[in-house]
Amino acid sequence: MSSSVIAVLIDAFSVGGLYALTALGIGLIFSVMRLANFAHAEFVTMPAYALFVLSGHPVIMAIAFSVLVAVVLALMTERVAFRPLRGIDPATMLIASFAVSMFLQRLLVFAFDSRIKPVDPLAFLDGSLTLLGADLNLLKLATVMTCLVLLVALTVFLKFTRFGLEMRAAAEDFTMSRLLGVRANRVIAMAFVLSALLAAVVALLFSAQTGFVHPRFGLQIVIIAFVATVIGGLGNLVGAAVGGFLVGVVSTLLQTFLPPDLRPFREAFVFFIVILVLLFRPQGLFPARGLKERI
Amino acid sequence: MSALLEVRGLKVRYGQITALSEVGLDVGEDEIVAIIGPNGAGKTSFLSAIAGVVPVTSGTITFRGDDILSLPMEEAVRKGIALVPEGRHVLPGLTVLENLKLGATIRNDAAGIRNDLERFLDAFPILHERRDEPAGRLSGGEQQMLVIARALMSRPTLLMLDEPSLGLAPRIVEQVYDMIKATRESGVTVLVVEQNARRALAVADRTHVLNSGVIRLSGTAETLSNDPDFEVAYFGLRTVRNE
Amino acid sequence: MTRPYTHSAQTARARPMLARLERLVPLLLLVAAVAGIMLLSSQFGIVQQRRVTLAFISLMSVVGLYVFMGNSGVLNFSSVGFMAIGAYVSALLTMRPQVKATFLQDLPGWLAEAQLDPVLGALAGGVAAALIALAVGLPIMRLSGIGAGIATLSILIIFYIVLGNWSGVTGGQRSLMGLPTYVTIWNAGLAAIGAIVLAFVYQESRSCLALRASREDEVAARAVGVRVVRERLTAFVLGAFICGIAGVFYGHFLGTLRVENFYLDPTFLYITMLVVGGMRSLTGAVLGVIVISTLTELLRLLEVGARLPGLEITLRAPAGLGDVVLAGLMLGIILFRSQGITGGREITLRGLRG
Repeated sequence: MSSSVIAVLIDAFSVGGLYALTALGIGLIFSVMRLANFAHAEFVTMPAYALFVLSGHPVIMAIAFSVLVAVVLALMTERVAFRPLRGIDPATMLIASFAVSMFLQRLLVFAFDSRIKPVDPLAFLDGSLTLLGADLNLLKLATVMTCLVLLVALTVFLKFTRFGLEMRAAAEDFTMSRLLGVRANRVIAMAFVLSALLAAVVALLFSAQTGFVHPRFGLQIVIIAFVATVIGGLGNLVGAAVGGFLVGVVSTLLQTFLPPDLRPFREAFVFFIVILVLLFRPQGLFPARGLKERI
Repeated sequence: MSALLEVRGLKVRYGQITALSEVGLDVGEDEIVAIIGPNGAGKTSFLSAIAGVVPVTSGTITFRGDDILSLPMEEAVRKGIALVPEGRHVLPGLTVLENLKLGATIRNDAAGIRNDLERFLDAFPILHERRDEPAGRLSGGEQQMLVIARALMSRPTLLMLDEPSLGLAPRIVEQVYDMIKATRESGVTVLVVEQNARRALAVADRTHVLNSGVIRLSGTAETLSNDPDFEVAYFGLRTVRNE
Repeated sequence: MTRPYTHSAQTARARPMLARLERLVPLLLLVAAVAGIMLLSSQFGIVQQRRVTLAFISLMSVVGLYVFMGNSGVLNFSSVGFMAIGAYVSALLTMRPQVKATFLQDLPGWLAEAQLDPVLGALAGGVAAALIALAVGLPIMRLSGIGAGIATLSILIIFYIVLGNWSGVTGGQRSLMGLPTYVTIWNAGLAAIGAIVLAFVYQESRSCLALRASREDEVAARAVGVRVVRERLTAFVLGAFICGIAGVFYGHFLGTLRVENFYLDPTFLYITMLVVGGMRSLTGAVLGVIVISTLTELLRLLEVGARLPGLEITLRAPAGLGDVVLAGLMLGIILFRSQGITGGREITLRGLRG
């Protein structure tokens, strides 16, 4: 009994962790430039395709390539599409990011067609580990660990480095930060790079779990993570991470415990909750934490 | 010898609205220069234009002989111009210490930065005491001290202050102005914008009266207080009469 | 923000008759354009006619999207969801009971038996979309900016999930087949004209002028007494009605319904059309549909392989390029001409001559 509880929890945490990383990737960019980046979907999909392209090659090489793809893609979209729009109203930027997303998605269809492609970048993690009498999937354990490590690393980066301080300052008051000498281009580029790194990790872990990629690979997870950032409070990184984690965990638990008839509707509930949050807690469930304490 | 800051024919427009028309003034080294005028006179636009926050329609701005007109705002501070904008603008979620550190963004001398930090924390015991608290929790006066100290962390040549006494109790205003005087004594030139004319006149070497985007009157505190046109210039009655 | 009032009021007082006629010019020109396209393409072959018919359906949907998004300036990703409601409601009410019995065994008796006249079915589809828009819009019309974007996207997703899993009524992930296919270039064209007229009449109403004022400056509009939420809701419901009818035509045009047809791809297509044409004018909505539909068609021909007349060369673009170009165009317009081709203005005779 307790062993199956542990398995369910690991399952839920691995999904929650991926959503948290994705939500953080979206939140990082939103916090510095008020861009709700729909194209984060392709920041996840494209490195997953990079893994597919290099499948058969050594894992390290494939991962390095996919990270490179993610970073280059993020920097290019920032430079070409989002920089000219800086300072424009967030709604227009949302439409623009929607257009970037569709453009990249169609580019993938054009280059690779729309059929699903098998990937198995982390084949060595097939198998399971017996812990406290529970059979735990190695890949899921690795996912949970990786997410934890990354969360800690990101916190340390933001909290204790000069760059991190500049990013947090820019998130609070972009103009004031620039007046103090924080370079807008550099801090935004940094946000995109970090976002891309997180997206590359999500691409790796998520594709290892699903075993395939397709042009809409990142879309599903990003739409849910979007929701999570709203629930957590747009622009609040801790909120985004917690929101992502909660949405992942709740969604997995609903999948496990909801009557079979209702299971397919579980995500509809999640989106319904989003609307409720937007209406009653427009600042998110963890409002204005930035004003009092942060990380 | 040319002035530290030279502004000539400065014009700033937001769409249809003219905020500044043809403003020119000099700020010499080690001076305290004040610009006073009522709400909406264009005082904030003037400082914002120098710092590169708002685009200039026409005119020239030179600082230490360099043209600084088209610099993005993060470069002004690198040239040695620090702006403390109106409304304080602490970074509320960052700690007091982090706010101060951020003031030194453009510097790379770790030891010097540490020295300055200690100096400011010693000078302001309240900031020292609350250095690890979010700056948003400080009182208005404390926040004003913090943002001035933060601006000084960049080791500026010219410190520009926008309405430093706004919304503060008289006793606190006194402290803020003591700080401004001390700043000048440490060799930093100060350009201060104020609605609180009496306060500014008391501290400034030279004062300009700005109204409706034009400098109406200039001079020392003494000449200005004795000028019969002073109130007219300040309250803008002259423009009404002329039209 | 008060300019729309004063402007129209003054002109109307100064030269009542002429001014009123002049205000009708954009409507007449747009209707003439659609009617012209309808007449012209009725001379074409059946394949081309179907393309034009589909463009008319897009036109309805984009006009529906425009009614809310263009006039209020508030983002809306949910319009395709209301198309879906219109399509499914009309399908369930007009399909032959025997056909329904094969695909949907679990329908409640009255619905399984129902077989309405197509016109009634279409109206029911539009009204159903409008009613649901009323219920959904009531709370969310308070939102603007990014909040509205995410809320309406959530609505689209909820509709998609519910329709895609409510197997007993919609067929779920399977296709729902056997809708009567009564849509022709004529009735689609007339319906498109109807949508344009409806949008235009609404646009000239006091309610919409107030809404447009709130688009320019929400706070100021509230200050002069505009009930922003109510005006937005009016536009949202009207827009949903038009989208619902568009959905009805879409369903009865294809004869088959799949939830995938009412999700992100068409949402993107319609928003592209509106943004490319210019979100802030009805002319922009219509022009955007014409431009994008024409372009899509040209690119499609190019993918099939076009032979230049008099030359031996065959131009052939690789498959999928059209979609890439379209998305790129959308991006380019947002970056370089964010007000769209029309720049947010309505078409006028002077504009045509100039």
